[in-house]
Amino acid sequence: MVVETENLTKMYGAKTGCEEICLSVGEGQIFGFLGPNGAGKSTLIKMLVGLLFPTSGSARLLGRPLGDLGARSKIGFLPENFRYQQWLTGRELLKLHASLYRMDGPESERRIPEVLELVGLQGQADRRAGGYSKGMQQRIGLALAILPNPDLIFLDEPASALDPIGRREVREIMLNLRRSGKTVFLNSHLLSEVEMICDEVAIINRGRIVAGGRLAELLACSVEVVMEIGGISPEILDRLSTLGRVLAVDGPRVRLALESRDKIPATARAIVETGGLLYRLEPRQNSLEDLFMDLVQKEGSAC
Amino acid sequence: MYYGYKDIAAHAGRMPQAVRALIVPQFLAIGLYFGSLIVAFLAVMGTVGTISSEIESGVMQSIATRPVRRAEIFLGKFFGYAFMLTAFSVLMYISVVIIVRTGTGAAIPVRPGDLGLFCLQPVILLAVAMCGTTFLPTLANGVASFMLYAIGVVGGMVEQVGYLLRSGVMVKIGIVSSLLMPADSVYRKIVYDLIASTGLSPVSNMMGPFGSGAAPSVWMLAYTGIYILAFLALGLRVFSRRDI
Repeated sequence: MVVETENLTKMYGAKTGCEEICLSVGEGQIFGFLGPNGAGKSTLIKMLVGLLFPTSGSARLLGRPLGDLGARSKIGFLPENFRYQQWLTGRELLKLHASLYRMDGPESERRIPEVLELVGLQGQADRRAGGYSKGMQQRIGLALAILPNPDLIFLDEPASALDPIGRREVREIMLNLRRSGKTVFLNSHLLSEVEMICDEVAIINRGRIVAGGRLAELLACSVEVVMEIGGISPEILDRLSTLGRVLAVDGPRVRLALESRDKIPATARAIVETGGLLYRLEPRQNSLEDLFMDLVQKEGSAC
Repeated sequence: MYYGYKDIAAHAGRMPQAVRALIVPQFLAIGLYFGSLIVAFLAVMGTVGTISSEIESGVMQSIATRPVRRAEIFLGKFFGYAFMLTAFSVLMYISVVIIVRTGTGAAIPVRPGDLGLFCLQPVILLAVAMCGTTFLPTLANGVASFMLYAIGVVGGMVEQVGYLLRSGVMVKIGIVSSLLMPADSVYRKIVYDLIASTGLSPVSNMMGPFGSGAAPSVWMLAYTGIYILAFLALGLRVFSRRDI
């Protein structure tokens, strides 16, 4: 495993940053880490990259304990609020970070133009970074993260400041990294983006992991049905709530979340048995957004 | 300083040697005091946010996650600033000596020992500011560092006045303040040694708040060394263990 955490916990006094996080991320994949604002996403990433010290628990990156300098030389990190020395040019910033990664002269001379081209900044490298637009700042941050050709890259909201073209380019970069066997740990709010490229995801809420696994399996394990029922009554709704979770009732239209497709016939039968007239029943495959909203709205889930 | 001395000389006509021997050291002391003050301001103002401002702005997030130890970041910054402050101090010291030499005609030597002590003054403040910046916000660290510097400066003056008025209590206040912030006692040692080396009246050392009634001992210098190391060690410890 490239990332392994065991009951990793961070407390800020009495306040929980994240609690008993158990994660395993395999090699050569894009791992999506999701959660609402303040759920503990950045806290976990900051612990993993060595900015925060865990209160308890342990973690290993690339098979080595947290803080190991050998492992860090193979890890790239793009912080959510990336800032830099504004008086340096893009190229100088890359040289500074190449020296922090202890890359020798020929290696950095070879690698810097490569990453500049990869993030589309080759024509802007000699401009002061302080004059970069928001999108260019994000690109130079990404260039710094991939500079040492890392085996593991943590990207905290990498596409947040980018326009649709920039987002697509970042997506391409992540896919290329995966193709070359690298592991990308992606923290993002852009659920459609995550759904498009991630192999596995974990969802964190209130500091705890509430769901995790292969994306396709997570989406397949729940289904939503939209129904149109004539003569709807409290009795029908009570009966439906024993089969699944009633998400919305709007006149005759009812949205119901079921644990699996197997419960659809029983749902139809329940409506008929309780005197309802079933005009329409349409199963919908859950999107990541549905799953996310569903999990985040639930209270008190456990790791 | 230059024009002040020229003005006094023009009014006094041909200045008796005894009067000149009293006045020249005062001008030298004022020059060195001014120089010390400027370097002290540079040391504090330039470094109070060395780490805290980078944490506040987020720059530190991309530095501290690279394969470098926090101690390397801390000491790298300390030695970088120490080098810059030393270069500035050398320039300031030599400028003061040249101005006093040119203005008064006194043969004031550039002694490596005194020059070294002059360069040590901002390093003391640098160590304090570097320690503070690891756990205090930039503004709070600036206020705290200046307060400590002010204690040293005012305490040094109180001690000097104590020597003149033969007040044991005032001298003790000065000694305690020197222990809290030894930069001023280093300055007093430079002034004392330099004036003694010029062959000018040692009595002049006793005059005014910028003079030096007694040279701080070698133990005071040893204490200063320990003081710097202690602040650096504390800063290093705090920075190595703090969350960013």
